[in-house]
Amino acid sequence: MNIYLHELNGHRKSTVLWTATLVLVVIVFMSIYPAFSKDVTAFKSILEGFPESVRNAIGLEVNQFFSLLGFYSYLFLYIKLLGAIQAMNLGIGIISKEVRDKTADFLLTKPVSRVTILVAKMMAALTCIVLTNVIFLLLTYLIMSYTSTEPFSSKTLFMLSLTLFLLQLLFLSLGFMIAVIVQKIKAVLPISLGVVFMFFLLNLFGSATGDNLLRYLTPFQYVEPMYILRNNSYEPDFLLAGLIVLIVSIVVSYVVYTKKDIPSV
Amino acid sequence: MVKNSMLGSEEKYGNTLKVLVVLSIKRGVDKMNVIEVKNLTKTYGKARGISDVSFNVEQGEVFGFIGPNGAGKSTTIRTLLSLIHPTSGSATIFGKDIIKDSPAIKKDIGYLPSEVFYYENMRVKDLLKYSASFYKKDCGKRMKELAKIMELDLNRKIDDLSLGNKKKVGIVQGLLHEPKLIILDEPTSGLDPLMQHKFFELLEEENKKGATILFSSHILSEVQRLCDRVAIIKEGKIIKLEKISTLKENNYKKIHIETTTEIGKDYFAIEGVTDLVVDRHKVDFLFKGDINTVMKKIATTPIVNIGVEEPDLEEIFMHFYEKEEAYEQ
Repeated sequence: MNIYLHELNGHRKSTVLWTATLVLVVIVFMSIYPAFSKDVTAFKSILEGFPESVRNAIGLEVNQFFSLLGFYSYLFLYIKLLGAIQAMNLGIGIISKEVRDKTADFLLTKPVSRVTILVAKMMAALTCIVLTNVIFLLLTYLIMSYTSTEPFSSKTLFMLSLTLFLLQLLFLSLGFMIAVIVQKIKAVLPISLGVVFMFFLLNLFGSATGDNLLRYLTPFQYVEPMYILRNNSYEPDFLLAGLIVLIVSIVVSYVVYTKKDIPSV
Repeated sequence: MVKNSMLGSEEKYGNTLKVLVVLSIKRGVDKMNVIEVKNLTKTYGKARGISDVSFNVEQGEVFGFIGPNGAGKSTTIRTLLSLIHPTSGSATIFGKDIIKDSPAIKKDIGYLPSEVFYYENMRVKDLLKYSASFYKKDCGKRMKELAKIMELDLNRKIDDLSLGNKKKVGIVQGLLHEPKLIILDEPTSGLDPLMQHKFFELLEEENKKGATILFSSHILSEVQRLCDRVAIIKEGKIIKLEKISTLKENNYKKIHIETTTEIGKDYFAIEGVTDLVVDRHKVDFLFKGDINTVMKKIATTPIVNIGVEEPDLEEIFMHFYEKEEAYEQ
């Protein structure tokens, strides 16, 4: 419990900052929505001029784009990107911290098992992500209600927003795994940015081509807003894929972390 | 000695003796090995770690672990603390396996590494409290005592501390839970002589209270001052395991002679003489063996001055290392 609280305390500031950033993105985007919806027809003709692959790549379909939730799911691409960076950064950072700051000799010579340490850190990270999502969801709902001129489905909004949490879970667990496998991580941000952008690029390709195999390669594609918007449900195959990624990365993190040699300072 | 006085008291105090016997038997049982290391080997890829290291540390003992940098002192200690895992071999602390029972063992271990690093944005007080929170007892009082002895300001940020002050934090956090086994890995670096002295006094006090100490160092005077027994480690192997007193025992003499005339370089090259240096009228060497043989040799040459000294540990140690190297060549 003491490790959990210590870690939670250490990540308080960054969690607040990330949550604020995510909400700010929603505010900025939604503030231009009223102006957007006024000129529906003019926009429609411009957008239809774009080649289809481009339209697919940026995740919008003309008709849905102008509904409130359609617009939201478009901006959600950027929320997902930011959320992924937050989760990956947190996942790598919280596990590699001891080795990075050379405090491993302190923490790992205390009367606690490595499993306890790992679980405490994972739980602290999970708490940060849950808090981020709860606050994000609440504030987003308020913003949407304020912006909307017509009724919208709160269930769909909830389902769309929940994908942030699912995606963050995946990136968090991938972050854990990277942190235990890479021997010495000097700086967290370059690695997390690198990995997230790699998956993000794959995501853009996946959207553009619609290739299913490619879609399995990037967690970004596991939760597709357009599918949710159309079907009001998640894609079961991809949920399963996500679950597998989650389990594999947690198990690998556990096995490697409990066996690993801590490099001397 | 103890036996004699106890026998003597037998006539006078029959019942008291029984108690004493029971106590002394109990003590004998208690004097178990706190650390038992059996054929511990750790290899890092092709680089050498330690190989086939075996030694025991008895309860209440101050055990020195000496050797130059990179000899494998830290590797051994880090293995004992299960920061790294052995390639082969095993070890127990308090009779428990170092890997399987690691968390239980560590309840009673205080560890001070050679370089200390802590969470930089914390205050000293908070760090120590965090450290104490791992032990299921109240460490607050001991923490304040130790901080006072070591003249450590509890309200400063770790970030702002000098190397020596960080070390003091290390000492306090290593001792605040009153550990039964104190493991120190080259602990004095960064401490000024005054603090070093206080620190050693602290260790001696802990030792008197019953704590066993494993002390690794390359500074022999420290080891000489504190330790009962030493293991000398070289290139990952233990090359000697000896009581400090035995190591310093009279079998080595450091002899310095000034002669009236120049003597031949080989004049003193007899059995038992090592480290022979002849510089015209001056001759220096270490001698081990029957002192009469060397005295006879000296008597047959006119001398102006002679000095016979006990070598200090440093010289024995250097001598030992050089001899090892000579063998290898």
